[in-house]
Amino acid sequence: MALSEKTTKPKRPSFDWRTYDPGPFYDELISTPGNPRKAGRGIFSYLSKYSEAHLMARQKATDLAIQEMGISFTIYSEGENIDRSWPMDIIPRIITAKEWSGIEKGLKQRLTALNMFINDIYNDQKIFKDKVVPIELINSSKDFLKPCIGITPRHGVWANICGSDLVRDHNGTVYVLEDNLRVPSGVSYMLENRAVSKRVLPQLFNKHSILPVDDYPSQLFDMLTSLSPRQSDHPEIAVLTPGIYNSAYFEHAYLAQRMGAELVGGSNLVVGSDDCVYMKTINGLERVDVIYRRINDDFLDPEVFNPDSCVGTPGLFRAWAKGNVGLANSPGSGVADDKIIYTYVPKIIKYYLGEEPILPNVPSYLCINDKEREHVLANLATMVVKPANESGGYGMLVGPASTKKEQEHFARLIKKNPRNYMAQPALRLSTAPTLCQGKIEPRHLDLRPFILQGSSSYVTPGGLTRVALRKGSLVVNSSQGGGSKDTWIVDTEAK
Amino acid sequence: MLSETAERVYWFARYVERTENIARLMLVRHQLILDLPKNIQPDWKLLVDILGVHEEFAKTKRPPNEKNIIAFIFSDSKNSGSIISTITSARENIRTTREVMPSETWEYVNALYLSVAKRKGQALPRSKRHEVLNEIIKACQQITGLLSSTMNYDEAYQFILLGRHLERADMSTRIVDAGSASLAGEEEETEPYRNVLWISILRSLSAYQMYRLNVRRKVSPGDVLNFLLKSPVFARSTALNLAQLELCVQRLSNHEKASKAIHSILNELQNADIKQLRGMELHTFLDELQAQLCVIHNSIVSTWLHPETMHQQTAG
Repeated sequence: MALSEKTTKPKRPSFDWRTYDPGPFYDELISTPGNPRKAGRGIFSYLSKYSEAHLMARQKATDLAIQEMGISFTIYSEGENIDRSWPMDIIPRIITAKEWSGIEKGLKQRLTALNMFINDIYNDQKIFKDKVVPIELINSSKDFLKPCIGITPRHGVWANICGSDLVRDHNGTVYVLEDNLRVPSGVSYMLENRAVSKRVLPQLFNKHSILPVDDYPSQLFDMLTSLSPRQSDHPEIAVLTPGIYNSAYFEHAYLAQRMGAELVGGSNLVVGSDDCVYMKTINGLERVDVIYRRINDDFLDPEVFNPDSCVGTPGLFRAWAKGNVGLANSPGSGVADDKIIYTYVPKIIKYYLGEEPILPNVPSYLCINDKEREHVLANLATMVVKPANESGGYGMLVGPASTKKEQEHFARLIKKNPRNYMAQPALRLSTAPTLCQGKIEPRHLDLRPFILQGSSSYVTPGGLTRVALRKGSLVVNSSQGGGSKDTWIVDTEAK
Repeated sequence: MLSETAERVYWFARYVERTENIARLMLVRHQLILDLPKNIQPDWKLLVDILGVHEEFAKTKRPPNEKNIIAFIFSDSKNSGSIISTITSARENIRTTREVMPSETWEYVNALYLSVAKRKGQALPRSKRHEVLNEIIKACQQITGLLSSTMNYDEAYQFILLGRHLERADMSTRIVDAGSASLAGEEEETEPYRNVLWISILRSLSAYQMYRLNVRRKVSPGDVLNFLLKSPVFARSTALNLAQLELCVQRLSNHEKASKAIHSILNELQNADIKQLRGMELHTFLDELQAQLCVIHNSIVSTWLHPETMHQQTAG
């Protein structure tokens, strides 16, 4: 008996793809139950060879690697434990290189038009005169900064770094959900996710031809260099952080390190009587040419904005306005990532570039328009309602997941301040296989690529995929229980 | 380089060095127990004295026995001089200066932190001591080695060296001070073990083998003192570290004040006839030397780390 057990090796229990069913949603890895998409065959067959228990062991190794690499994000008000390990699911999300090249073009087109729009808002305001966008939207926007009127930053570009959120619906169409033009974060996690998967799943890389992402810090550095007011081979570049209690502090330090730039706090900088920015170094004061600021407009300069700010630097705005320092992104860029302005982006693209938008917007309803508001109020249960300028998924109503009481609460909010709300039909977001409590199950996700624009444009190959780890949930924010995935742009034609 | 960054880098290096020193000190004490007969127990309070955390320990109101003192020095996060605290401080400092150091530095420091943090609040049992303390020493040396082999020898590196050498110079004086104090009594029963105790002082600084190589005589108190404080070849001697400090500051601008301070202290040390010092004389001499090291620290702070007055002069 014992002998026969030894000679017949029991077959390893492996994952049965037929049990994986994304239902009515578009799945990023499989086309129909049991059949992978072409770009994902390698991952598919790798996963079919192993049991879920084996994958859990890889996931544990991943979590450990993340802890050791110190990849963390910070959550407010948790007392002593301000640092949390970054949640990453080991199963990568794949997109074909062919599809990506279209998305990349669409993203560049979009940011180019948005920057022309911002420059127009603060200068000639032609788009209002031509009645393409109503000027009331700007006048009532808290992100329209009057001190910026009349300024044109270098290259006419205001938002140099943009993180756009993309989603895919059940038909497979990719939409732009929103544009983040203020201080978008997440790019370091995109880079670290790749570093972790190389460490934990090296064998998978042989089976695919994957576009590398490691180039981002040098692309960012080059873009920032192109904003320098002084023509020099060695512009002094600084990353301005609000400090270690900021949720993205890890990223600020990470990017400064990878670029070889100085990581500074507001108190490390002074603006001299010559309206130039200096930093306090061991050799006295040294001039700073470009600042990649990760502090919101409000807190940037207590002389011009919030006077109570203690993380900014007095005089910084003045130095920028006079062209003595480059600031990325420019103050006032946020005016164009308002969720109401968002609904006009297709028109904005046509107006400035004379082109059709390559990437579609999610159909949106503005609550300020009577008819659209009525539609929203009548269909709250199937819609997502968003406040005009909040980020991080706060202050939203996700209709299908809401209670009657919450819907009534939002109906009141909308009626009280219609300008402040817009709504979109709840999209049936695409899914991808995700390891959840030891089981591979479909989970909804989005994608945040990063776009740079200075003297030229650049888009990260892929971006940060965020995944809602709770079953059925559409909330992907890491501060609210979301996870992440490495994102692979796979060239299926490469040998 | 930002003054604030320089300050953090400097403290980072001091804390890494301090961590290694404390771990070695504990390890040597631990090994000493095994050599001594049951009726002569090494005075565990000596560790508390060397590290200058006497008052903090008194506050815990625990009896000064082996278990309590080891726990206090190893894993008590309320004691700012414990290993867990110095590692935490090193980690906090590098967490905020990751951009100037090779990225592996953070990984190594973080791994060291995680390995010690899981023993937070625990006493280190005898059976684990050698393994755990040795790992800590190795991890610190790995960090030191990584920096010297991968970092640019730029300004940031000078501040690492400043922190490291000042910490070493300081630790040697502390160990000599506390060690010789414990040997001051002339009790008869300790007599056969005096040699063992002097050797243990050498070992606390990884100096025993180097002493043998360099001094080539039997272990005598005078020679040990000379070697630890004045040797121009021993890596942890106070004099050698002062000489290194002098070289370091000269690579930085505005170094005149600091350079002068270091030079005069080094001169004084070299001219002192340490072998002749006995008991209180030696203690007074070492106290003075430690005060002088503080003067060096203060001049580093006022010249580079907090040069507020200098900024005002050059601003605008």
